Amino acid sequence: MPNTVIEAKNLTKTYGKKSAAFTALKNINLKIYEGESVAIVGKSGSGKSTLMHLLALLDRPTKGEIYVDGKNASNLKNNDLNKLRNERFGFVFQQFFMNANNTVLENVLLPLKIAKISRKERKKQAEAALKIVDLESKMKNKAVDLSGGQKQRVCIARAVVNNPQIIFADEPTGNLDSATGDKITDLLFELNKKQGVTLIVVTHDEDLAKLCNRIVRISDGKIISDQTVRKDYQKQASRKRETEAARVRNANEKKGGKK
Amino acid sequence: MKLTDIIITANHNLFRSKTRTILTIIAIFIGSFTIILSNAINSGVNDFIDKQIESAGGDGYLEIMPTAVTENAVMALSGNGAVEYKETGNAPSEQPYITNEQIEKVRAIDGVESFDVLHTTTVDYITSNKIDKKYKLFNLNLVPRGNVNLDVTAGRKPDSESTNLEIALTEDLTKTLGFENAEAAIGETVTLAIPNTIDCYTAATHSECQRQVTATVVGVQAPGVMASGGPRANLALFEKVHELASDGMSQETKSQAYQATAQVDPARVDEIKAKLKDIGLTAMTIDDQVGMIRTFFDAILVVFNIFGGIALLAAAIGIINTLFMSVQERTREIGLEKALGMSSGKIFLSFSTEAILLGFWGSVLGIALSMLIGFGLNALAHATFLADLPTFNIVVFNPINMLIIALIIMLIAFIAGTAPAIRAAKKDPINSLRYE
Repeated sequence: MPNTVIEAKNLTKTYGKKSAAFTALKNINLKIYEGESVAIVGKSGSGKSTLMHLLALLDRPTKGEIYVDGKNASNLKNNDLNKLRNERFGFVFQQFFMNANNTVLENVLLPLKIAKISRKERKKQAEAALKIVDLESKMKNKAVDLSGGQKQRVCIARAVVNNPQIIFADEPTGNLDSATGDKITDLLFELNKKQGVTLIVVTHDEDLAKLCNRIVRISDGKIISDQTVRKDYQKQASRKRETEAARVRNANEKKGGKK
Repeated sequence: MKLTDIIITANHNLFRSKTRTILTIIAIFIGSFTIILSNAINSGVNDFIDKQIESAGGDGYLEIMPTAVTENAVMALSGNGAVEYKETGNAPSEQPYITNEQIEKVRAIDGVESFDVLHTTTVDYITSNKIDKKYKLFNLNLVPRGNVNLDVTAGRKPDSESTNLEIALTEDLTKTLGFENAEAAIGETVTLAIPNTIDCYTAATHSECQRQVTATVVGVQAPGVMASGGPRANLALFEKVHELASDGMSQETKSQAYQATAQVDPARVDEIKAKLKDIGLTAMTIDDQVGMIRTFFDAILVVFNIFGGIALLAAAIGIINTLFMSVQERTREIGLEKALGMSSGKIFLSFSTEAILLGFWGSVLGIALSMLIGFGLNALAHATFLADLPTFNIVVFNPINMLIIALIIMLIAFIAGTAPAIRAAKKDPINSLRYE
């Protein structure tokens, strides 16, 4: 059995108070395993986005707990949550969220800048991330000059630049035409398959959902179905563990070399 | 985020909306420029006054007059209040001149290093063997005693302890008397003509009653406001002039003096002034005399600082406004940064840094332009109306003062920036990312 990366226990989220209270999520229990690609599918207002925000530790649940790698995240302080998101998670949003006046490179290295990584090192890592999305040539362009598809590729580069364990993608193709959307989808699943990154996609697009190995359907704040389509992700998970181990080894060697 | 990254990013973010940022900086600049330049001018004036006080005798130099003289002057000016005349009630404080009794009392005061009575001196003219013309001399001053500096361009200060008759000329007079330059005048002699009071009552022509005295030029005073008072004599020459003028008078009349100078311990000036008052003498330091000028310039400084302060207050509101706009515009960016793991504290710090940077650039601009104008003003002044006073700079920049002003402005900017920075820090990442 692969490792559980995120587990939600009795997750409830209520907005507002008393008579105006609105329960967006009711008693959600969900385990996500390493290397999976999970689609969270539902109509707008179903609570799928709320669930993603809770799983991504962007918001705290009203009731229930979230465990990341077996550790209870509700006990963590804000700064530890920030650190966890910064180091383990990558985000891709429907509206891209880029700093339009900054260069592509600046946009990609933002998570590393927040992580206090040195100027030289973050440039190196950002260049590597841009290579994955095949946009090294646009490195010095301003983000505003890119097309929609290119922007989303830059966002994927930003999401992978910190070598995350999990990538959260919120309607990643929602703002793109189908051809460019497909390219983005290919990129995301390539990361999932080749590098073993756990992928959590929130979408209402059934075609995109079908590409994932697991589909979780949400309606009125409850999980109405949870089906695992394929099980080939386990191989990917072990691959991810290997690459992770290699990365740690490399880092250790570098440290050793400096001494 | 590292602090250096925060500063660099903040500066970059500031200049994303160039017009708005530049306008805010200009607002701060108006305040900083006003304060820095007016402080520099005030420093210049005070510096000048200090130099002049030093050359006139320093902080321990007192000019003394009988209190009765100053009071009589006040009575005469105000023109009211009749004072009964008493034949016998001639208390020392009512004497219009300094009595021997008073002189003895003053010399006994602890802290009085020297006390010289200044007899009235009248010099008709001064001349030298280089020229035929004679020049009127309105004023002959006594050189201050002790370690006090006399700003000289050549030679030295006349020696008050010496029995030689010594004089320090002014630069103007040096040329007038036919000496090539200050250096050339040193060691030469000048002749002073003094009218004898008694003889001049009966003499047929004024020249008949004149007595002459020859003094050695030992120094030439550097130009300055105090030096414009005229040449300065040592005590020996000063006494000689008095002797020639009063020859033939009764001993009592001879010794009458209306003015005196004293060199006292600078730390005890106030105490000694109080004691002199009890004796019936009013003492003024040079600082008291130029105090009016100082007070005037200090008042101007206060007014300009208030202007500057008001400008800074308006600028602070500009900072608040600019930053609130920028927080609003960058809501989604803040949301993203928070989602990517930036803490609220760091968000607060980034916006505060932007505020501080606005203050910083405003101060830098203020310092740069006021220095440019200040040095220009100094150059202009030396070329024109201050040509005779090369040691005087209108504008004197004090780096520590400027640093303190800049730091205060940055503090004001920081305080102004706190409200927008707190708003940014409090933003919820999810709502911010949804913000359209």
